[in-house]
Amino acid sequence: MSQAVAGHPILDPVLAPTFPKAALPILRNAQLRKNVTHATDVIQAKRAKLVAEKTDWQELRSAAAEIRAHALENLGEYLEQFEARCTAAGGTVHWASDAAEARQIIVDLLREEKASEVIKIKTMTSAEIQLNPAIEAAGIHAYETDLAEIILQLGEDEPSHIVVPALHVNRSQVREIFARRMGIKDLSDDPQVLTGAARNYLRQKFLKVPTAISGANFLVAETGAVAVVESEGNGRMCLTLPRTMITLAGIDKVIPRFKDLEVMLQVLARSATGERMNPYTSLWTGVTPGDGPQRFHVVLLDNGRTSILAKPKERQTLRCIRCAACLNTCPVYRQTGGHAYGSVYAGPIGAILTPQLMHLEHAQTLPFASSLCAACYEVCPVKINIPEVLLELRAQVVDQERKQADRFLDLMYWGLRIANQIFVSAWRFRTAQWAGRIGLRFFTGKDGWIHWMPSLGARWTVSRDLRGLPSQTFRQWWAARAKEAK
Amino acid sequence: MTAASTSRTQILDRIRSATKILPQSACAYADLPRSYVRKGAQSHLAQVELMIERLREYDADVIECKAQDLPATIAAQLASSGRHTFVAPEGLPAEWMAAGYDWKIDHGMENAEVELTEGVVTAAFAGVADSGTIVLHHSSSEGRRVISLLPDWHLCILRASQVVETLPEYFDLCKQAPDLATYISGPSATADIEMTRIKGVHGPRFLNVIVVRDDS
Ligand code: SF4
Repeated sequence: MSQAVAGHPILDPVLAPTFPKAALPILRNAQLRKNVTHATDVIQAKRAKLVAEKTDWQELRSAAAEIRAHALENLGEYLEQFEARCTAAGGTVHWASDAAEARQIIVDLLREEKASEVIKIKTMTSAEIQLNPAIEAAGIHAYETDLAEIILQLGEDEPSHIVVPALHVNRSQVREIFARRMGIKDLSDDPQVLTGAARNYLRQKFLKVPTAISGANFLVAETGAVAVVESEGNGRMCLTLPRTMITLAGIDKVIPRFKDLEVMLQVLARSATGERMNPYTSLWTGVTPGDGPQRFHVVLLDNGRTSILAKPKERQTLRCIRCAACLNTCPVYRQTGGHAYGSVYAGPIGAILTPQLMHLEHAQTLPFASSLCAACYEVCPVKINIPEVLLELRAQVVDQERKQADRFLDLMYWGLRIANQIFVSAWRFRTAQWAGRIGLRFFTGKDGWIHWMPSLGARWTVSRDLRGLPSQTFRQWWAARAKEAK
Repeated sequence: MTAASTSRTQILDRIRSATKILPQSACAYADLPRSYVRKGAQSHLAQVELMIERLREYDADVIECKAQDLPATIAAQLASSGRHTFVAPEGLPAEWMAAGYDWKIDHGMENAEVELTEGVVTAAFAGVADSGTIVLHHSSSEGRRVISLLPDWHLCILRASQVVETLPEYFDLCKQAPDLATYISGPSATADIEMTRIKGVHGPRFLNVIVVRDDS
């Protein structure tokens, strides 16, 4: 829906258009922008209310940030501990270096199960590794079970938000998709009715499909347990009814101890959906005889995370608990929605995470998709200083551009080279200023404003006017003032 | 070495060299800041009141009763539900299973059999007043996960003495981390369509709680 004309949005950073290109058609899509603004307004208002009632909010944030930082600093130890405990409890732990390996492991496991269908709980990590197309290519049909994911899957659309993935679709669009794809005539656009339709659509799948795939919100090193938080109960269905469960989790998801959930759960629910607690949280440890899936696999995914871990400023990116509070508050995301980011991770966290997962070979425009207002930093429950990381990545992107052979073709390059020469002496600066003032006179209108400039200047005037220069420069004014004082 | 074990070694090696290079800046585990609220400030009576209020905000049906009236209260709830077939966890006290209904005791029922029942009665491990959360550790009286999931109507018996105020207080109650746990804060819900909250997507659509006043 993001490329309203082109159809299916591309959420693969390798193939996606640059941010400014992808954002343009969206900015012209009034309906989509209305949907995004409405949804983010609602969540933000709820979050603000519940954060305000929490007298120890800042203390919780500090604890959450430090727990995550500590876990990352001791990541190797905690992952091995998780692996040992999970294995002892009857689970099998797999390690995947990259997306391709993770896909292969999961497809092989599904083949072993002789699966023809698989049910899925919403997992952003699975979208990150483009799992569904790989499963389909193996001849296995994947059913998304989260209401938003069903809307997207049936509507052949892509997620635009980490927590509310279909927030860019409104009720009449959902009605149209469900009526068409579920073959229901006379479907109303009442959310209650639409939700009921999804419930019926999935009920039999839950009971019959013997294999499920989930993500994980937290991996508990101390006990080998996995935690999944959700609202609808589709997660509990997938975690309880099938014979086999496959959990895909980034290596960054580990927390040291069970007790740390007392912090993480409190900050996550409030930040993500503005609830004191999400309706359902499930915790399981390996295999429990007689209760739930009797075969359990965890796939631990690196896919670029270890290289983020190795960098001092960037490491904090991995603290993220995917609450999406930074998306809801971001003035850029609120205008463009998620698809413009060309990745399943949108908004401020996407702007720092995606380029890093791509080793800065793709998505280089994302660190610039920000006003650096720091609203994201303020709401982040694990205190990730997103603006700091954005600036660091911008510097790296510019360093990259400096090495490019075609940099000489860019006017900006020459402009800055010339500026470089001008700023070396006061005399050159004064002369350039004098010449510039004469030059600008030609473009200044009778109203004292500059409405049009050629070439590089047009980058400003294409969307904004510029005040004409005042008759006196600052330096002249300063000199005159000094004289008067004498 | 197989491909799988190489990836494991490689990832762990990369992690080790990444975490070694940098100056250690995070705290040791024992020194992590934990100045958030641990203990609730309210009287136990007020905590139970808060628990009930929160549950009602979630549209759960809550009633209170004295310990000796529990069987009668359960019977009344079953009657007013208009349902007939109920599943019971293996360890549910016999006196909670009112006569006149079709009780299926769960000795490892098939999912399909559970699906055919209309409701379930379970005990609980704890209640967290601050967030209105019911905690199940799936002991024999709380039942396997599936039986509190498929039936559309869940009657949960919570003793007032099990109620704590804050989430950290619940974690203090756990002498040992549970293998299985489900935290329920209101019935199944979604806000995926235009942020309109809709009850009852996949989990039980009706959550009924009897708070047993064993505290007064
Ligand atoms: S960066 Fe912070 S605010 Fe954004 S999703 Fe991650 S945890 Fe939430």
